[in-house]
Amino acid sequence: MIWFSALVLIPLAAVVVTAIDGGWDVFWATITNGQTAAAIRLTVFTAAGVTAVNVVMGPLIAWVLVRDRFWGKSVLEVLIDIPFALPTIVAGLVLLSLYGTGSPIGIDIANQRPAVFLAFLFVTLPFVVRMVQPVLEELDRDVEEAAASLGASRFTTFRRIILPSLTPAITAGAALSFARGVSEYGSLVLLSGNLPFKTEVTSVRILSSIENDNVAAAAAVATVLLAISLAVIVVLDLIQRRVAARG
Amino acid sequence: MSIEVSGLNKKFGDFVALDDVNVTIPTGQLTALLGPSGGGKSTLLRIIAGLEKADTGSVSIEGVEATHLPAQKRNVGFVFQHYAVFKHMTVAKNVAFGLEIRKRPKDEIEHRVQELLKLVHLSQFAHRLPSQLSGGQRQRMALARALAVEPSVLLLDEPFGALDAKVRKELRDWLRRLHDDVHVTTVFVTHDQEEAMEVADEIVVINEGRVEQVGSPDQLYDEPANDFVMSFLGEVTHLGGISLRPHDIELEASPQLAGSVEGTVSRMVRIGFEVRLTVLTVDGDEVSVVVTRAHARSHGLQEGSTVWLTPAAGATVVPRMAAAV
Repeated sequence: MIWFSALVLIPLAAVVVTAIDGGWDVFWATITNGQTAAAIRLTVFTAAGVTAVNVVMGPLIAWVLVRDRFWGKSVLEVLIDIPFALPTIVAGLVLLSLYGTGSPIGIDIANQRPAVFLAFLFVTLPFVVRMVQPVLEELDRDVEEAAASLGASRFTTFRRIILPSLTPAITAGAALSFARGVSEYGSLVLLSGNLPFKTEVTSVRILSSIENDNVAAAAAVATVLLAISLAVIVVLDLIQRRVAARG
Repeated sequence: MSIEVSGLNKKFGDFVALDDVNVTIPTGQLTALLGPSGGGKSTLLRIIAGLEKADTGSVSIEGVEATHLPAQKRNVGFVFQHYAVFKHMTVAKNVAFGLEIRKRPKDEIEHRVQELLKLVHLSQFAHRLPSQLSGGQRQRMALARALAVEPSVLLLDEPFGALDAKVRKELRDWLRRLHDDVHVTTVFVTHDQEEAMEVADEIVVINEGRVEQVGSPDQLYDEPANDFVMSFLGEVTHLGGISLRPHDIELEASPQLAGSVEGTVSRMVRIGFEVRLTVLTVDGDEVSVVVTRAHARSHGLQEGSTVWLTPAAGATVVPRMAAAV
């Protein structure tokens, strides 16, 4: 508990304290500032959208990895983890050279919002997959067979038997993926161009606040992000309980 | 006839799991598929349930050709060795699952679930989760779940295999009584001959993918078709070219009967009321003999005693196979 406090709680408290130190007016002025608000909106909505994609695609990829046998499977296993292992700035560079100006595949989304979405998607891909995969591996085939012999179609078996078992893992993966999205900096900073009101995300906004020696403003934005992350985690937990109980 | 299986073949890679199996399982009875592990009995059961596909051959259930029916359409109840509970559902929800799939009215489901839970003595656990039940209770729940859909046949795959000895014994007595009440055609797989003999009306002995013999427990015990069936159903020893049960050997301290074989007691173990002897005969056979304690005492038996052995009158004997077990 002490370890946990020292590592997590104290720094978090420090951020909140710094934000409050600046006074309520500064706090409010900062977050209602058009540019900041736009950055927060962009970050949160994009992270949410990316998480939604991951919630659908993650279990699918995990399913294929666990249940199907195909050539090159072990290669795919390794590839999934690359976004984890790659320094994000390298990921950013890769994305820039692939989707930036002069793209070899003819897709130029540099300095546009899809760039942010794509960067988020790239770095958050492994979370849901890696959370769901071990649970899926542990899942008893017996249970699916039992459902089948009781007359359940494959879809019903998936919805009523498999999905509830996966829900905690999917939720945890979604929370991680959302949190990662909100905090992402390196992978998008090159491709997105950081245009205010358009492609500037909160982490960039915080950095520029610090660079302008406005620590209070940076802490204010950070506190808002903290609150949003907390809310998302709580909401996901509630959803998970609801789904698990529905059975 | 409830289940008819004919010409069934099944291979897993190079391994032959079933080799031209033909079996007919009678309606309303409790039938055991008995055999050693890896003998193909579970595969047969799973093919009947539609959980596994045979390479060739056909299955019909209650006169309905079922070979190509998916498991969902066969209306069989299946009970797994490791219970296969739906972990996130309460006991009542588990039992209700099949009925909900069939979209029965809510009050009917509720009524039926209560009835079944009473039948398996789990009424007071209806709202618990399976993880809060013991192994035996989980398996009873799984049985109620399988019975809920009123299956035409009930299939149990080593249903008591994961339970400890005491619970196992209780449950099999209970299964026998349950079957006497419910009368659904039941097939269960076991490798435990005692379990099969005690519970089943009829036993199908399966070994290395083939049916060795079909019959009532008494028939199998008294008239085994071959050495394998005989040795699988109880202890077997060999005396002068025949296989027979150790307790079917007459032991005398002097050569009184014609054709008796002389030997020396090399080992003597007393277990409760019986005495187990190992006798080395002059022919070089090592024969196991079981006698009562009174018999042993009256002959003054001890290690090193010279004795004469004869197959008892009316003993079950089969010619000894070259590759005796």
